[in-house]
Amino acid sequence: MTIDGPPAAARTDWLDWLRRRLFAGPIDVIVTLAGLGLVVWWGPALFNWLFVDAIWREAGSEACGTPGAGACWAVIEARGRLILFGLYPFEQHWRSATACAVIIAVAVLSCIPAVWTPFRLSTVWIVGFSTFYILMSGGIFGLASVGTEQWGGLALTLFIFASVSIIGMPLSILLALARRSELPVIRWLAAFSIDLTRSFPLLTILFAAALIVPFVLPQWLQGDKLYRIIGAFAFFFACYQAEIIRGGLQAIPAGQYEAAESLGLGYWRRVWLIMLPQAFRNALPPTINQFVITFKDTSIVIIIGLFEVLASGNAAFGTAKWTHSYVEVYVFIALIYFVFVFSLSRYGAFLERRMRIGHD
Amino acid sequence: MFKFAIGALGALAMLAGGLATSEVQARSKTLDAVKARGSLLCTGHNGSFLGFAEVDDKGNWKGLDIDFCRALAVAIFGSVDKLKIVPLSWAQRFPSIQSGDVDVIIKATGWTMGRDTELGLQFSRPYLLGATQIMVHKELGLKDARDLEGATVCVAGGTSTERLAANYLASLKVKHEFVTYEKTEELRSAYFSKRCDAFVGWGPNLAVTRSKGSANAADHQILPDVLAMEPESAAMRQGDDGWVDILNWLFSSLMLAELNGITSENVDAMKANPPNSTIGRLLGVTPGIGKRLGLDDSWAYNVIKTMGNYAQIYDRNLGKDSPYKLQRGINALYNKGGVLYPLILD
Repeated sequence: MTIDGPPAAARTDWLDWLRRRLFAGPIDVIVTLAGLGLVVWWGPALFNWLFVDAIWREAGSEACGTPGAGACWAVIEARGRLILFGLYPFEQHWRSATACAVIIAVAVLSCIPAVWTPFRLSTVWIVGFSTFYILMSGGIFGLASVGTEQWGGLALTLFIFASVSIIGMPLSILLALARRSELPVIRWLAAFSIDLTRSFPLLTILFAAALIVPFVLPQWLQGDKLYRIIGAFAFFFACYQAEIIRGGLQAIPAGQYEAAESLGLGYWRRVWLIMLPQAFRNALPPTINQFVITFKDTSIVIIIGLFEVLASGNAAFGTAKWTHSYVEVYVFIALIYFVFVFSLSRYGAFLERRMRIGHD
Repeated sequence: MFKFAIGALGALAMLAGGLATSEVQARSKTLDAVKARGSLLCTGHNGSFLGFAEVDDKGNWKGLDIDFCRALAVAIFGSVDKLKIVPLSWAQRFPSIQSGDVDVIIKATGWTMGRDTELGLQFSRPYLLGATQIMVHKELGLKDARDLEGATVCVAGGTSTERLAANYLASLKVKHEFVTYEKTEELRSAYFSKRCDAFVGWGPNLAVTRSKGSANAADHQILPDVLAMEPESAAMRQGDDGWVDILNWLFSSLMLAELNGITSENVDAMKANPPNSTIGRLLGVTPGIGKRLGLDDSWAYNVIKTMGNYAQIYDRNLGKDSPYKLQRGINALYNKGGVLYPLILD
């Protein structure tokens, strides 16, 4: 507590804060004490397990899994690269790592308001995405070719998430507009496909894309399993996101639309200049929510045999030497997810503040 | 005497076979497709299945099933580089073979009637028998399950393993008490804290528990009893007999090599100077083994040279050279007390 002013006042503030926040009434007292008890009871044991008794280096990992041993972080040292890059050829990991950095850079760039012009955004995404793709799959510029069955780990998770977002977002806008269209056929088609897609679980849709499509389509139309999955996932995302955007559109007062019309703006300019900016502002919290859900849903692709970060985590402890270290691996993966999802939600909060400042 | 008879039969068959050699080209659609594609697509796992399909520190597949995939790739292309391992979940196996995502399933897959008749699959001869077995504390000095009289037995509750163990022990008229748990971790800790005398599970899983759960693996032993047995085979699409032939003779040749003591180390010496005509035929010195399958005559030599014989592949992944130290048991060759045997190479 380093604040200016007499110490006595500071202590009063501090006590006051405690009283108001933690001991305001009998229920508060009970909850606070119970929480404190839990921390005292579990805290030291957890702390010991996590840090004090932990085995950090692979060199001393023989003690891992024996009674009384702490967390075996050695598994991360030994198998960390497997978790991050999956089955990608070991000597080529730098490509996977660079590709991850590129896609993260693209995501960060497109979060900066200065980049939000159609030209800049699309440049960033097209350049970033093709760099990612060339790095990962190779076959040109002297890079060895790596098939998608060898893509894996965090790189694959990020690739799926980024592709689903980039394909799904524009698609969702089109679907939302189509569903509000004045042409009945378009309106019905959009409503039908949205409601149909939303009535199936994501898993079913991905399973169908991975396993049933090859029976229906001719070979040359099938594409790689990974791309079929991404396509289906993106459509699923778009259907949910379309409803969120539609909610945002419907919250706009009719006067806005009519005013735009009376100014002589055409349909696309009305949509682009008047409707969408307001719709996105209205729909921002559920949109961020949708992105968070989608990021976590990428782990479902493990079921159709894509080696994303959770699958490579399973592989990491799935060998004789590390079978006992599954908790450590899951903690590590949870940390990865936390970093991404928490940044996403903080960014959402920043956007909300920014929009309020800009418009109120 | 026996071998001489095989040799004589072989010579006769070769004479007869000479008439039919012209029509053996392109016996297998799948083989043609694999050759045209320039790569073999074989099953991996979405994660790890201990001892059968794991991933090493450098992201390379390893394991018993993976090595058989590699052996098949070597048989067809002469090198393992042409193998592509497609990670698949258990549920995906059968749709993926039907849709052509993989050319063959070698993934601890049991040969069942339903799969054979209703799923449109065709199976190779079994290459391994997956056993449900019992692990006990060595200090108890037990020899087999009959010694479990009055024992406390740990088993996963509500599973087929529990039912199998109950049946087996009842048929031996052994009085026992079950302690059931939901989670493998609970089971393990109950067993190691000596809450139970015995622990019932699937062979490789038991072996892992033994090697990693305690300070000294030698304190525990896996009893020779086999409570249940699943024949693991390679599964293929129905209707490609030539492809099934290749898998059958691949497994058979690996076993024949083991039976005759041909290893990756001495295979060159054996080829230079075959001790008998069967070995000569196996290693392609006497022509015939390749052409009849649509492969190169040196395919078996290549496989043994690159991957080793059946025993070497087993020991490397599950047996004495692996962390699991799983004994061959029922998976030994017939002359070592097991049930595996090579077919007759004539």
